[in-house]
Amino acid sequence: MKGKPYFLLGIFVTAGLVLVLIYGLFYASRPGAIPSAQISQKAKPFQTTTFAGQPISLQQFRGQPIVLNFWASWCVACRREAHIIETAYQKYGVKGAVFIGIAINDTRDASLAFIRRYGKTYLLAPDNKTGIISLDYGVTAVPETFLIDKNGIITEKVLGAITKLQIERFLSNQL
Amino acid sequence: MNVKRFLLVIGICVVGMIANADDLDNRVREIAHMLRCPTCQAMSVKESDAGLSVNMKTRIRELLQEGKSEEEILEFFVERYGEWILRSPKKEGFSLLLWTLPGLILLLTILLLFQYLWKKSLIVAPPVETRSLSEKEQKQIEKDLQRL
Repeated sequence: MKGKPYFLLGIFVTAGLVLVLIYGLFYASRPGAIPSAQISQKAKPFQTTTFAGQPISLQQFRGQPIVLNFWASWCVACRREAHIIETAYQKYGVKGAVFIGIAINDTRDASLAFIRRYGKTYLLAPDNKTGIISLDYGVTAVPETFLIDKNGIITEKVLGAITKLQIERFLSNQL
Repeated sequence: MNVKRFLLVIGICVVGMIANADDLDNRVREIAHMLRCPTCQAMSVKESDAGLSVNMKTRIRELLQEGKSEEEILEFFVERYGEWILRSPKKEGFSLLLWTLPGLILLLTILLLFQYLWKKSLIVAPPVETRSLSEKEQKQIEKDLQRL
């Protein structure tokens, strides 16, 4: 009976150490598993020019929900989500939702070929050479999508290919 | 003579520019070493050639050229990526707990182990030798006390 408290304490300490180890190995070292520092923050303003030559800035879409997607032509998961975003744009773009795709670490030709191949028609622009837009949003990999509400606040970050359900859930609350 | 002076000034300027460029490169490397590569595991931005890491190095260089301090640059990335981007997170909040936990656990374990061994009498205090005074010693003490 006397040894019971020590036994329980031993179990408690061991469990604590195991949890810290799991956190360190599988959570702390996986950037994707960590929530973005920008959730609930004001979306960083940016200006760029689309591949079609149209200058755009985030501020001009104030009052509209925005789906801001970071992608690259070399990214396999981006191919998977390409038609999902385009379909959502066709459905919700007319209702006032804004869809912006920023190509990062990509060549202009490769990006344009990707756009043509997957029939993307929403606002698509390259990040600048030093990737200021993607760094400002703390992008860790592609594809990565930020859902920005009508007040310009980032409500969610989706790492990996976004799903139809995620877009619909966000826009149904915003439109 | 004037030509020699001119060449000397040009030479000094060139050496100065090279030294400055080396210094800037070193500072970029130092700061990049403090940041975690966002796309890879267990690598610093300095060691990584991933696209985002390359962009981060370029951004560090630009910020240094703008006159930003090391602290301001680290803060720039923390604001965007969160605390995890630092390879040595600030020792506060949950990070402080993680830093101190191993030491506390070790201390607690040593204390508990010591207490356990003491209880099990595996650690025994050295015996204190006791004996009663002899008659002669007793008389001597009484004599000394009377004298006081």
